[in-house]
Amino acid sequence: MRTIRGLLMAALCAATPAGLAAQQAEVRTRLEARGLPADLVQSVTEVAAAADAQGLPAVAIVDKAIEGWAKRVPAPRVVAAVRQYAARLGEGRDAVGAAGLARPPEAVVIAAAEALGRGIGAEQVGQIVRAAGEPAALAPGLVVAAALAAQGLGGERAVGVVVEAMRAGRPVDELLDLPSVAREMQLRGMNAAEIGRRMMRGGGPGATRPGGAAGGAGPRPPGMPGGLPGQGTKQPGGRRPPGGA
Amino acid sequence: MALNDAAIVARVLAGDSDAYRVLVERYRAEFGRYAVAVLGDSDAAADAIQEAFIRAYDGLASCREPERFGSWFFRILQNQCRNALARVRKTVDVADADPASPHRTDALVEQAELAAVLETALGALTAEQREALVLKHVEGRSYEEMSQLLGVGVDALKMRVHRARDALREILGGRL
Amino acid sequence: MRPHDEFGPDAHRYLDGEPHGELRPDDQVRADRLAAALRAYCARLPVPGAEVDDAVMAAVRVRSPERRAPGWRWLVEPRVVRIRPVWVPVLAAAAAVVFWLGPRAWTPGAPERPPIAAAARDTVYVRFELVAAGARTVAVAGSFNDWRPEALPLARREGGAWSITVPLPIGEHEYQFVLDGERWVPDPTAQAHADDGFGGTNSVIVVGPKGVVRS
Repeated sequence: MRTIRGLLMAALCAATPAGLAAQQAEVRTRLEARGLPADLVQSVTEVAAAADAQGLPAVAIVDKAIEGWAKRVPAPRVVAAVRQYAARLGEGRDAVGAAGLARPPEAVVIAAAEALGRGIGAEQVGQIVRAAGEPAALAPGLVVAAALAAQGLGGERAVGVVVEAMRAGRPVDELLDLPSVAREMQLRGMNAAEIGRRMMRGGGPGATRPGGAAGGAGPRPPGMPGGLPGQGTKQPGGRRPPGGA
Repeated sequence: MALNDAAIVARVLAGDSDAYRVLVERYRAEFGRYAVAVLGDSDAAADAIQEAFIRAYDGLASCREPERFGSWFFRILQNQCRNALARVRKTVDVADADPASPHRTDALVEQAELAAVLETALGALTAEQREALVLKHVEGRSYEEMSQLLGVGVDALKMRVHRARDALREILGGRL
Repeated sequence: MRPHDEFGPDAHRYLDGEPHGELRPDDQVRADRLAAALRAYCARLPVPGAEVDDAVMAAVRVRSPERRAPGWRWLVEPRVVRIRPVWVPVLAAAAAVVFWLGPRAWTPGAPERPPIAAAARDTVYVRFELVAAGARTVAVAGSFNDWRPEALPLARREGGAWSITVPLPIGEHEYQFVLDGERWVPDPTAQAHADDGFGGTNSVIVVGPKGVVRS
């Protein structure tokens, strides 16, 4: 019900110059409400409008600008960053399009752009798109691959895990659990290769249990993100009992 | 402009979800203390009241008397608190609590000690007794109000409160 | 139970604020002390504050995308957001920054969940924690709250730890902690980190409906 109304509204908005102006006004209002100065509002609105004209998700560009301003990034840097981000959104859309998805939803374009930004190549994005069994798995698949890559598995391994899971028919819920599973394994001291192997083998959460001698916990290899040195070890525990007892 | 509950519910159902905040602030202030006193833990109380508000939002269309949103919400909160209580299996051993000092010097210290022991003793009450006692003594509500909130008759509520007091008296023993 | 361990009926009426006859002396003393003790107990407990309001409204807004999104956002797939209560276990170690989710039982009577459908999404409670003994305030800001450092302040716990529980929609979120309103720091024990495009580093969390899966 919401979608039909939304699509109609979006179609109406996009079709008319008045509609475009209304969209731009909303962008301005949102940016101004967050305290961005007039010059920056103007620049970001232009980038967003250009992106929107190309069918790219302008809202993500506005979000990015707001993030930068909230972090007190200087205005010129914010502009540079949103331009770069807009370009990456275009690349994301192209990568997904090359895999056969002509009009991807916004969430998929955004996820593809994130994946590209984290070292996953356009061809690998395509692999994920082709492996997805249902439209609902597209964005989660890309998001999870990007997260796994950022966790230290590397692009190729990350994509391999996701593609394998999708081909095995794993539901979206299980895909979304993969980064937590990988984190668990990291905390047990497994390296990226081991994690990738286990995930490819088992595919899902069941693979977390270290098996026999092969599941030994060793020191975390250097260069693996996911923890700063000196933070100490965490003990997995049960629920914290409520205080005041 | 202060809106009554029914007006705000109508607005929220019409699509103004931001208006829900008015109800949240109003009833968090009204029932926050109840949740904390029943659960004995402010984290658990915050979780319970948060979840109750979200469930209330999800089910807002089923609130038949929006002018009495507060009572309707209270039932949801009561449920959440009971779930939380059921999850926490506190072993009540009053012997572990602060021993009663034979020499009562400072009245304030004594009160604080008694309050700490009381927390443990409250854990020994049934959920109904604890709820009723909190509403009566912590919230200071009349039995009529409590009856409206809980949907239980005044006589039954009096019995719960009286039994709760007697139980506390027995548990606290010489400390009282 | 011996009778003199119970309050007499007049003591109960006295405590109920109703007309009563004369109380036994020990009843009078004990009734007053009990009432005072209950008041003192109540006064000790911190009452949930406005952070609850913020967290509730964050969840409410997730359920009402048309209220906050510009027009073109309606091109995104529709979402049916149901709350799936999730208990949040917290790690015992005090020295580390922790970030956990965990499953808890369904409320009895809740409807059976459908198989994963394109439109079904859940919201999951996530607890953010940071050890920052020297900070005066700590907040979490991220893609889930429009990067507002004032929106989700953490509450101070013992040992210099700070925490807040937030309902988040499943999917990916980026965030940082904000110390004293101006110092942005990533979460040292986040699942992953990513370049924020401004030369900084965001923490990344991918939230699944089951929360953290543990063996």
